[in-house]
Amino acid sequence: MKILKKIQEASSLEELEGIRIKLFGKKGALAGEFAKLKDIPGPEKKAFAEGLNKKKAMLQNAVDEKYEFLKSQEIEAMLKKEAIDVSLYSSLGKKGALHPVMETMDKIIDYFVAMNFAVKDGPMVEDDFHNFEALNLPKSHPARDMQDTFYFNDGGLLRTHTSPVQIRTMLKTKPPIRIISPGSVFRRDYDLTHTPMFHQVEGLVVDESGTVSFANLKSILTDFLHYMFGDVEVRFRPSFFPFTEPSAEVDISCIFCAGDGCRVCSHTGWLEVLGCGIVDPNVFKAVGYDDVSGYAFGLGVERFAMLMHKVPDLRSLFEGDIRLLEQFR
Amino acid sequence: MIVTKNWLNEFVNLEGISNETLYETFNSIGLEVDSIERYTIPKKVVVGKILSCEKHPDADKLNVCQIDVGDKTLQIVCGAANVVDAKFVAVATVGAVLPDNFIIKDAKLRGVESAGMVCASSELGLPDTGKGIMILDESIGTLEVGCELGSYDTITDTVIELELTANRGDCLSIHGVARDLSVALEREMKPFVYESTHKEKLGVARVADIQANGIIEADLSYVLTHIESLHTPLLLTLRLAMVNIALGDKLENILSYATHTTGVILRAYSATSLKDDDERIRLQVNAQERGIITISSQEKEISLLGVNQNQEKQAKDKDSLLLLEASYIHPDILVNAVFDGSYNKDELYYKTSRGSEPNIAFGLEFSTLLLEKYAKGKCYEGYLTVENEWEELRLGIDTDEISAIIGKEISKSTIITILTALGFGVTNAGGSKIVVIIPRFRHDITHIQDITEEIVRIVGINNIESKPLAFIESNKLNQTTSQYQFKKSLRQSACATGFYENVSYIFCERSKLEKYGFSTVNEKLDLTNPIAEDLNTLRSTIVLNLLDAIKRNVSYTQKSIALFEIGAVFNSFRVQTEKFAMVFSGQNELESISNSGKPNKIDFASFTKRVSMVIGEFELVACREVNDFIHPYQSADIIFNGKRCGYISKLHPTIQEQYNIPDTFFTEIDFDALLPKHINATPISKFQGVYKDLSLVIDESTPYSAISDAISSLDIELLSSYYPVDIYQDTQLGTQKSLTIRLFIQSISKTLEENDIESVTSLVLDKLNKTSGATLR
Repeated sequence: MKILKKIQEASSLEELEGIRIKLFGKKGALAGEFAKLKDIPGPEKKAFAEGLNKKKAMLQNAVDEKYEFLKSQEIEAMLKKEAIDVSLYSSLGKKGALHPVMETMDKIIDYFVAMNFAVKDGPMVEDDFHNFEALNLPKSHPARDMQDTFYFNDGGLLRTHTSPVQIRTMLKTKPPIRIISPGSVFRRDYDLTHTPMFHQVEGLVVDESGTVSFANLKSILTDFLHYMFGDVEVRFRPSFFPFTEPSAEVDISCIFCAGDGCRVCSHTGWLEVLGCGIVDPNVFKAVGYDDVSGYAFGLGVERFAMLMHKVPDLRSLFEGDIRLLEQFR
Repeated sequence: MIVTKNWLNEFVNLEGISNETLYETFNSIGLEVDSIERYTIPKKVVVGKILSCEKHPDADKLNVCQIDVGDKTLQIVCGAANVVDAKFVAVATVGAVLPDNFIIKDAKLRGVESAGMVCASSELGLPDTGKGIMILDESIGTLEVGCELGSYDTITDTVIELELTANRGDCLSIHGVARDLSVALEREMKPFVYESTHKEKLGVARVADIQANGIIEADLSYVLTHIESLHTPLLLTLRLAMVNIALGDKLENILSYATHTTGVILRAYSATSLKDDDERIRLQVNAQERGIITISSQEKEISLLGVNQNQEKQAKDKDSLLLLEASYIHPDILVNAVFDGSYNKDELYYKTSRGSEPNIAFGLEFSTLLLEKYAKGKCYEGYLTVENEWEELRLGIDTDEISAIIGKEISKSTIITILTALGFGVTNAGGSKIVVIIPRFRHDITHIQDITEEIVRIVGINNIESKPLAFIESNKLNQTTSQYQFKKSLRQSACATGFYENVSYIFCERSKLEKYGFSTVNEKLDLTNPIAEDLNTLRSTIVLNLLDAIKRNVSYTQKSIALFEIGAVFNSFRVQTEKFAMVFSGQNELESISNSGKPNKIDFASFTKRVSMVIGEFELVACREVNDFIHPYQSADIIFNGKRCGYISKLHPTIQEQYNIPDTFFTEIDFDALLPKHINATPISKFQGVYKDLSLVIDESTPYSAISDAISSLDIELLSSYYPVDIYQDTQLGTQKSLTIRLFIQSISKTLEENDIESVTSLVLDKLNKTSGATLR
């Protein structure tokens, strides 16, 4: 069959369309064949018609198949034309990045919010009562040395920790209390390992007398440190803070040397990361609380950020240096 | 506080206790170990006895010594001047390897054979004990010629630096640390026994007296002693050097040693200089205001108790009659009295302010013993003493309460055992109750939680099992928490738009703020003690800090600098508010394949677009904000949610030049204004809308906001939205410009007909013609 061969040899969609019109068009070859039908006598008519329909279906099928083939070829050609070297476009858009200290603070807050703590904040400019006196830091306490605190000409001061937020919260509300207070704090200190401003997150839990214990504090802080640092050992050491008693400092096994001893952990195998304790009764007395028990803890966010991200220089965190920041994208 | 193991061993038996155990024990009882280091002495360094010492024939400063090192006599040339006074010395024999890999070999010094080296302490890796070679004496142990120096425990001592917490004044002495250690290690304290072998027959009252004037809230005790041929033995100097106490005069060293050992505040006076004309010493102890005590003689103050001592009356090495003083004053009394005064506080004040040892007799006896041993001390019989009557502090304690605070059952008997070992008096009061008498050396203990801390540190925190706290659940999502969460999402949007988060100090330089026209904190409210000139006030804007950061980044050859910061600023009344600031400097994007290596500079449109991608849509109106950073023709105030809440501007070219940075844009917005508002949905139209462009010819000075305001005032229901899409100017238009605005017309209730569209456009045109003389182009 010559026509079938023609269909199969068609090299473009246009050629195929031409063949299709010649075959199936109103004045096409098949129409001519069908026109003959009326002249065919009755008995043969049926067989002729069947033969014709079969032929039509066969040709239609051939055209369709060829069309599919040519169409896919055409698309393929078009796609090829649009080809680009995608590897040239690897990183066109530059995302910014959260500051490592702030990102660490986010992570800390996330944990405590998930543990049903409320976030509280307070003013940076504080007074003596909220920053010291109420926290069992009487005027003569060595921590109140002029060297450490920024004072204002009217006697105000920049908070040296976020603990005044605890005092403000306790003065405003009644237990039970379950809060964290994240924020900037200020000490008059400026060297390799100290900046005049840094960030803290402190926590306070207060409930009825006899309900909140040191064992509870140990439980949440151990869990928190595992959340932050993964599989580390956690060690509590007795310590002293004016606003808690008993007090402890909390260490994790050194994440740089896995406890073998290195420069970062001063060859002790431990890194100090937290301070905590049972709230001192004098603090409760200062805010007029009776018959309560509670724990408090506090941590320096920069310290966490530096340890978690291995940032070598504290002061570099406050310089807006994109070479440092872009590493945290 | 620095201690040494051998020194501690004088009061508590540390035999068989490894350094690791010591380290762990100290840490577990709250005496944090900062460092722990053992001194070692190289092999082949031995005790040598100098048999003779002659001048080197060819060198003035050298001596040729014959030294007995046990199995032989060595000839060694020595350059130290003090070798002539020495009998026993440390000799590094041939083959010894000293620190820094210094190998001792046979040598010839200016022609004289030398078979070793006479060592100074520092040459052996020991702390510096003074000029010249280290002269050995029997204070370090019996000297056996030829014996390895490394076999003396007193020399190969372990030095432990403890970081004491402010409440533990009782551990500011070797004796005090040993006392705590003895409880933790469950080893008894070795008692200190003082038996004088060398006393004057005369009672002290024959030559001196003391008189108290007023109520003296302190303890004072004096001893009068003759001394001669004062010397400081090696053990004392070595130990003082090991614990980092500066070496001074011989007498000073002995007193420092006694104070560091006992914790008692000790001072010595030149007794001769205190004598009245009749050869008698008369001491006056005077109570001053606020509990301050002064001691005077001959109507001259010789000491301010616990604070300082009159330098003129202080005893020196040459004195032969000493008045030795031991004192104690409660730190609370002292510190409250002197903390704000302008008193000269000497180095002992640190100890008195944190609580020195109240057992002053111990200090006096210990120092007298040293003087007897090392200065042929001969005391007058008896003491001159003023003693306060101290009231014992007794606390009634419920031991069940201690268990509740700890969260672990601690038995009453355990509590009693621990407290007794720590020196507390304890009486059983029946049931779970006890009465605790606080020893005077623990002035820091005043209530049950202090007692609990003692129990915790001896029981060991690691022996307390963690227990999660059971609490009644309640909604803790307060406003601050939500605000914090919004802030976080805002920061994340800024990052997604290409900005880096910056954190800078809330401090600023006052003169800079003033110079650039920013507000400053009223001087009466400003910082009293800033840390540096350039951080001498609180900032009233974040932009200044961000510009500094841009400048730094430019110097690091960054080409496209995008930063943001959310932080506190303060107005002239020092009221704190929070601002959100963004800056963009340099190229709009980095060179890349998509911009053929020629990126555009940041411009007003791109910056504004980035800002609104972070905070949402806003309206820009004429800028009212005033400061030197603002570009007068490329700046605007930001209206967000209908409120004026910040501004956006190109950096003024003059400032840009001063900072030497590329084109820069910045914005500063009140953070609170950005907080999300409640939104109610409006119905969405089901009918097709129509876009219609109007190209208007208006005066070139007419801002778009005038057009926008005019259209807005019409309040046309069918006009769903409108915005500018093109601005065009050419010479034909003269002082006019062509502005194309696109209207989107849609009805909520019906399909639009031609006349609906017509009526909207003609309403708009009429209005604009009236307000701005606008005509269709």
